[in-house]
Amino acid sequence: MAAICTILLLEDEPIILMDLEFAAEDHGCDPVSASSCSGALDRIATPGGIDVAVLDVSLGGGENCLPVAEELGRLGIPYVLHSADLDRHDERIAKLDAELIAKPANAADVIAAAIARCERCNGGRT
Amino acid sequence: MSTDDESEPKFGQQALMRFDDAPDRFRAGDKGDRFSGASGVLFEQAMAQTRMAICLSDPHTPDHPIVFANRAFRQLTGYGEEEVLGRNCRFLQGPRTDPEPVARIREAIANEDVVVVEMLNYRKNGTTFWNALHLGPIYNDAGELVYFFGSQWDVSDVRAARAEEQHAREMARELSHRMKNMFAVISGIVNVTGRMRGIQSEAAEINARIQALGRAYETTLDDASSGNIDIGGAIRAVLAPYDQAAGRLALEGEDAPMPFAIISIVGMILHEMSANATKHGAWTVPDGRVRVSWEASGEDATLVIRWEESGGPAVDAQRIEAGTGTAIVDRMLATARGRIEREWKESGLTATITVPAHAI
Repeated sequence: MAAICTILLLEDEPIILMDLEFAAEDHGCDPVSASSCSGALDRIATPGGIDVAVLDVSLGGGENCLPVAEELGRLGIPYVLHSADLDRHDERIAKLDAELIAKPANAADVIAAAIARCERCNGGRT
Repeated sequence: MSTDDESEPKFGQQALMRFDDAPDRFRAGDKGDRFSGASGVLFEQAMAQTRMAICLSDPHTPDHPIVFANRAFRQLTGYGEEEVLGRNCRFLQGPRTDPEPVARIREAIANEDVVVVEMLNYRKNGTTFWNALHLGPIYNDAGELVYFFGSQWDVSDVRAARAEEQHAREMARELSHRMKNMFAVISGIVNVTGRMRGIQSEAAEINARIQALGRAYETTLDDASSGNIDIGGAIRAVLAPYDQAAGRLALEGEDAPMPFAIISIVGMILHEMSANATKHGAWTVPDGRVRVSWEASGEDATLVIRWEESGGPAVDAQRIEAGTGTAIVDRMLATARGRIEREWKESGLTATITVPAHAI
């Protein structure tokens, strides 16, 4: 069965990433994973691209997901933010027009929230 | 305040110290009679007695020399009167003084403005202090500029406290971030393990509890260093995911500081109550309502939570009371020396949960 959509999972914590991958597969999505901004940007630029994304806000090494969010915004690809850090985000992150899901959250709920935003897969409805 | 300095007499001479004759001498030497009569006496006494370091400079003499400095000024800076008079105030500055406030002072003087700056100043003995300097022009009755007035206040302690507070707040946020991340990782481990062992539904149940606990820590952290948390914020955070449709959940209660240890039990109990309402109670139907109110009061800071369901189906109490969630609630409350009183009304479950904060 063809996947309903390709979902980018940006997450620097491997266990959380794996949990999200499984949940994405359960939802019939094709997950592509990245643990840094450059990895995520590569994935986005890969032919075929992605339909929707889940972005962990604070990544390792003081990096945050802003460059990826901006690139997705430019391409008109929907995404949700997934973060444990709700009040310290710098202003540019706070201004992003995206749903924010507080960690810890159920991985299935996170994926469901993401594909609900994805028009290409009709919000996950078949 | 750390205005003590060896350059001024201390013990044994306190009687003498009450008399600061600098204002007196200043008035005597003030040819313009600018501080005459009653206001002059007032000036004299106020200047001598105030703990606020004060100086006046003469804007009509080149380089604006100080023409008056009260005793508090001399104590704060460590300089004697003869070392102060005739010099420009900048002798208090040193290598680590930030030029930005200095520039603001210069600008205020040029415009005859009032300015308040905080700057690092140096005492005679080379030690530094943070000076909250208030500077402004003084005019005579004819509206002519006669002096610049400067009051100095040692705010080193205030600044240190401010920096410490800032640091504590940042630490609390970082801690909260890491803690929630840790909950997310634990949750991931449970899910992945459950999947590998083919016990996904058990894993999901464990996870729901872990996540409820994780949310309970998502509260205002301003008080984190005191060991207290805000119980109102914790309750709202735990129940937030159940508030999916308007009117389904009503929360009523004040924010109140409670000991940190109470969090896990409150988080777990509210989660079990919610799970029960979802499985058997009010939240099995669209019009079902749950009202949660709480009160933390008394010297022993007992927390009382009232849980009231309405609009749900008639409930088979026997069946629910035997459930695992119910058993967990009872067991946890027993450990914490709290109690729960359940009442199965026609309209749904009403429960009163009492948790003593300090018995945990």
